[in-house]
Amino acid sequence: MSEGPLIEIRGMRKWFPIKQGMMSSVRSYVRAVDGVDLEINRGETLGVVGESGCGKTTLGRVLMGLIPITEGSVIYSGSDIREIPNKEIRRKMQIVFQDPGGSMNPRISVRSIVGEPLQVNGICEGVELTRKVEELLESVGLKAEHMTRYPHEFSGGQKQRIALARALSLDPEFILLDEPTSALDVSVQAQVLNLLEKIQKERGLTFVFISHDLAVVRHISDRIAVMYLGKVVELADSDEIYRNPLHAYTKALISAIPSPDPDARSDQPPVEGDVPSPVDPPPGCAFGHRLHHPDWEKSTKMDLSLREVSPGHWVQPCPCCTDENDESRDAPHEQVADGNASEDVPDWARGE
Amino acid sequence: MRDWEEGRKDREESQKRLLESLSMSISNLGRGWKIYRRSLLAMLGLLMVLSVSMVAIFADEIAVQHPYRNLTDTEDKWSNNPDQQESPPFSEECSLREQKITTNPSSPLFSETVVAESVNKVSGSIAYGYYTDVLSITEIIKIENDRGYDQDISLITIDPDNSSLFVLSPDLYGNSSHYTGVWVTYLYENEDMSHWWLPEGYDTCIFGTNKEGHDVFSKVVYGARVSLTIGITVATLTVTIGTIVGSISGYYGGRIDEVIMRICDVFFAIPGLILAMAFVAAMRSVSSLTFPVWLGILLPVLMLAYFLNSHLSTTVLSGDERVSDQAMGMLMGNRSLLVGLLAFLFFVGWLPAFAWPDFFGVSHSRGWRLISSLVVIVLLVGIILADRRFVQKNSLDGALTRIGSSFDWTNPWRYLNFRTVVVFLSMAILFKLSGNEGPEIVLIKDFDKLWQVQFALIFTGWPGYARLIRGQVLYVKEMAFVEAAKSVGAPPSRIMFRHILPNAWAPLLVAFTLDIGGTILSASGLSFLGLGAAPYTAEWGLMISESRVAFQRAPHMMLYPGLAIAVTVLGFNLLGDGIRDVVDPKNRR
Amino acid sequence: MRLHEFVVRRVLLLIPVMIGVAVFTFAVAQIIPGDPAALQCGDKCGLIVGYDDDGKPITAHQANRERLRLDDPVSLQFERYITDLINGDWGESQKNGRPVIDIIKTSAPVTLEMAFFSLMIAYPLGIFLGIISAVRQDRMFDHVSRFFAIAFVSLPIFWFAMLLQLYFATGPQVGGICDPIFGTEGGCFPIFDRHDQSYTYPLDGYHSLYPESGTGFHLIDSWFVTDAKLAELPSEFDTNRELFMDTLIHLVLPCSALGIASSGSLLRYMRASLLEVLHEDYVRTARAKGLSEFRVVVVHACRNAMVPIVTILGFSIGGAIGGAVLTESVFGIHGMGTVAVLGILQLEYQIVMGVTLLTSVIFLLSNLIVDIAYAIVDPRVRLE
Ligand SMILES: Nc1ncnc2c1ncn2[C@@H]1O[C@H](COP(=O)(O)OP(=O)(O)OP(=O)(O)O)[C@@H](O)[C@H]1O
Ligand code: SF4
Ligand SMILES: [Mg+2]
Repeated sequence: MSEGPLIEIRGMRKWFPIKQGMMSSVRSYVRAVDGVDLEINRGETLGVVGESGCGKTTLGRVLMGLIPITEGSVIYSGSDIREIPNKEIRRKMQIVFQDPGGSMNPRISVRSIVGEPLQVNGICEGVELTRKVEELLESVGLKAEHMTRYPHEFSGGQKQRIALARALSLDPEFILLDEPTSALDVSVQAQVLNLLEKIQKERGLTFVFISHDLAVVRHISDRIAVMYLGKVVELADSDEIYRNPLHAYTKALISAIPSPDPDARSDQPPVEGDVPSPVDPPPGCAFGHRLHHPDWEKSTKMDLSLREVSPGHWVQPCPCCTDENDESRDAPHEQVADGNASEDVPDWARGE
Repeated sequence: MRDWEEGRKDREESQKRLLESLSMSISNLGRGWKIYRRSLLAMLGLLMVLSVSMVAIFADEIAVQHPYRNLTDTEDKWSNNPDQQESPPFSEECSLREQKITTNPSSPLFSETVVAESVNKVSGSIAYGYYTDVLSITEIIKIENDRGYDQDISLITIDPDNSSLFVLSPDLYGNSSHYTGVWVTYLYENEDMSHWWLPEGYDTCIFGTNKEGHDVFSKVVYGARVSLTIGITVATLTVTIGTIVGSISGYYGGRIDEVIMRICDVFFAIPGLILAMAFVAAMRSVSSLTFPVWLGILLPVLMLAYFLNSHLSTTVLSGDERVSDQAMGMLMGNRSLLVGLLAFLFFVGWLPAFAWPDFFGVSHSRGWRLISSLVVIVLLVGIILADRRFVQKNSLDGALTRIGSSFDWTNPWRYLNFRTVVVFLSMAILFKLSGNEGPEIVLIKDFDKLWQVQFALIFTGWPGYARLIRGQVLYVKEMAFVEAAKSVGAPPSRIMFRHILPNAWAPLLVAFTLDIGGTILSASGLSFLGLGAAPYTAEWGLMISESRVAFQRAPHMMLYPGLAIAVTVLGFNLLGDGIRDVVDPKNRR
Repeated sequence: MRLHEFVVRRVLLLIPVMIGVAVFTFAVAQIIPGDPAALQCGDKCGLIVGYDDDGKPITAHQANRERLRLDDPVSLQFERYITDLINGDWGESQKNGRPVIDIIKTSAPVTLEMAFFSLMIAYPLGIFLGIISAVRQDRMFDHVSRFFAIAFVSLPIFWFAMLLQLYFATGPQVGGICDPIFGTEGGCFPIFDRHDQSYTYPLDGYHSLYPESGTGFHLIDSWFVTDAKLAELPSEFDTNRELFMDTLIHLVLPCSALGIASSGSLLRYMRASLLEVLHEDYVRTARAKGLSEFRVVVVHACRNAMVPIVTILGFSIGGAIGGAVLTESVFGIHGMGTVAVLGILQLEYQIVMGVTLLTSVIFLLSNLIVDIAYAIVDPRVRLE
């Protein structure tokens, strides 16, 4: 039972139909997640990065079984989550939402917000519930008397803590953290991240940590998956990805991390071109298409599934460039997204 | 079973929570009131609504003339009073009365002293099966014999000890060969008939009388009751129906939403008043609202089965894969077929042919109804449990403990929440309304013309609310906290009642207030057209309609009822506008 | 989405609604109490009108049922009803046998005429007051006009109409305001009917007095009435202009009642819409450019603020028709409302059905036209 990964994602696709015409005939889809394979091991933290709209949240929601999957499957501890009773999944998997304020009903008190999972699952009521909520609030660094307040009376960081307390209330094995820090300023970010690490250590939790900010993800994750337009383009240990980013998009992301050294800072945006639309995405390598890569057409004829280049380091092959050759692989992008390639990655980011 | 002492802590906890939510709502109300009172017009509206409601509540005290009620039922009826027709406001004619006095000594009705009384007014004494009123005579104006000749006024005197007694002089009845009775016209005074709130000398009919001789003021006062009843009943029922339909439509979406919205479109395509008129026409023969027992049993079953079905198809990831291969699973998997079959039989009219009692040979007693209700409840619970067990593959332990803990007798405070209160109230109302022993559950026994109007307006009005609440639900449904609730396993009912509706009701409250006014307006319009209240009812629209024959001669007959409508409706409209300002998110900090 | 696509879709969307309305009217007719066959023969229902094949007598009642095919199954009746509707056969009055379509042809234009003129009063009034109200936001005028706007919405329109009757035209005893001011006799405006009192409607139905070929719109018909016809009429008018003026002047009170009552909501819409526009950036820019306030409001803001007002035109027409029912009743005008009320009181369900259908068609069509016009003006709405 404890052998193997906790969660396996196999060929996950999630397409949202766009309704057009009055007969609701489906003409096109938003391919929010378009073929993702991932394994999440017990006790690890998997970071998922990618720019806004690339399907991170959708991936998480499908993973949690909150929205039905279009294709593929999610295996939790060896069984398909569609086969597991709803109640059981809800107890084992929890989610902390992207927007902590929005994920709380403004009309109910913190006690009810944090206690709701306990209530609906019939775990406790009344005095028992109050005691439990008190404990939870204290464990995330809030005070018991916050219980009677309402969400709008809290700051962003506090709200995130409340959301975390709610996620912890059912004592889950797995928590999906959807950009838990993006709404917070830096000092509070650090507090929340430390809290997360502490809790993970105490309870032996498995995390999936979604963010668009590589620096944050790197701080907390064991492994990192880089997503681009509904697909995972690179997956490796977090240090490995920093040290040796292979996919052009990953490199662009890393180069975008603000460096403490003002001279090394690049003024250019990490990626040029329009933000891609997941509606009817281009064939082949979407990133190359966006940058008008001259050899992009080659990629449409190739198999783009991830390949393991070194142990634990998976990357989407870059076929339009000479394959299997790391140096020449970067070359085309240096022409197009000038100056954003590997040598611009600051030393502090490469090191460790 | 826990005993009472063990529940003490829970009781205290619940009490604390209750107090907390109470103080929360009080502070919310206080904040709302601060915004509300900034607007002068809104305050004016509140004042109007309050005063009209007061008038309606204390109509018995305020009005000087009252409908007579026959003693077997409580319906207000205004009898014809020929003496004071169309007298203008503040005229003497208002306190004139003609009364016939028997002067034939051999008649069994004869007496030497006669009480001056009116059959029109309600007060203590009861005669001839009606409420009557004893009047005190101030002056005798005229005595006429039954051939129409004036007689000497001194033939009848007022008893010096008791001013409400006529004393006949022997001259009158001694001469019985000429006539059997005389008509005496007199001015009267009656404590019940004077306006206690007006200075001495103004206690005549201040709004005049109408062509039946009713005091217009009193009728306007009683009309407030009728109008407010219509307004509030209709608005409440439309809101309820609209909310149920609209939230189902918005929450479940899909085909059911499509169907409901198309039905609403049809309703919107016909102008309101015309639609209401058509409904009134359709209901003209309905005399009591009955509800056949078999329908009462089948309908909830059908509805529940249907919603379970659509609920499943939306929440369960991919329907049929999850149904286990047991026989029960098969059955549950084919529920839609089963439901379809039932609906088919139902609509083709096969089931109605076998009215249950005939079929089973049972009586129509309350006992039978109770038992059948119990059977239905057991059936429904069975369906729900089976659904959970076999289709959702949930274990029932949690559900059972929850059911067990929800009957926690040691902590009565727990039941003081909105939902239980509403359930109990509606059960009490239903129980009160349904009383008879018959093949059918009679919901409204006396489905009179007012009820017809009310139902016509309800049928006309619900689509508006359904659309409103659907939009709100669709809007709130997309908010993150709804998904958060789903992600911890909250059932749809909880999501609906605890998360969506509390965040969606604000525009509903505004619409509700405005709609009370609108309903009063439409109802009076229907009455005006002769499609509403029964003749002689104290309904404002009807009063205006009845005044039409002579309104140029006696405009007071239509002026005051119309003013009353205008003030009431204006009050509700201003109130609604004020509430809109309060619930407008722009005004919240 | 291109415009023609939008139009096609919008028209197609109407079809289910129309079918729904037809089903609805049919259902109402089924539920309305009373046996139409018995209504038609009245007290002669027992008369034997013939014998069937077996030699059994057939009463007039039975014959009527046969003729109206009331014993058919409901589904068949519905099918026939729909086909008849499409073929223009909307049934007939059971009292006097006039085809419903005929009755409606003479009464609908009367109502439409009234609705049209009342909107002609309501729109300018509402928009004008709305603009002033918005420009002078939160000043005295604004408060007063808003109060009156709500007050007009709250007035029972039939009562308001009667007040107009009372004060602008009066009977012998009570003085209206006209006679003392203008020295008229019996008030400034006629208060009953569409014409001079001498033209009363014939008792048997709702015939228009105008030539058979007339449009039914009394204003148009009276303008084009021939001299020969004019001479035939029991009139004192020498020219058709006089007749026209008479017809027009009969519209004044009903249309003012209806128009003023509906101007209230228009005022509120216009005010809200203009206030919103006035806070937009381009209006501020226009102000900053130093344009005069008048120019800013009238040229820049009003044009845009007017668009949502025009879109509610469709609904206003529906409201005006509803209000017309009441006003017609007060002013004794034989429009659709009167016809419908009589139909209900006399259980003539065919007429009720006809009126309901027609009003919904008018309402839907006017909404359609307004939507299409809107889509032409503002392409954004086509995107849905
Ligand atoms: N319910 C939905 N219906 C249709 N499209 C959707 C739905 N949810 C998401 N999408 C689309 O799917 C794409 C991916 O959205 P998603 O929320 O997963 O992005 P994200 O990576 O989480 O972005 P962000 O960093 O901004 O949160 C977007 O283009 C979005 O418009
Ligand atoms: S190198 Fe080619 S395949 Fe790789 S990201 Fe660039 S365009 Fe795509
Ligand atoms: Mg996201």
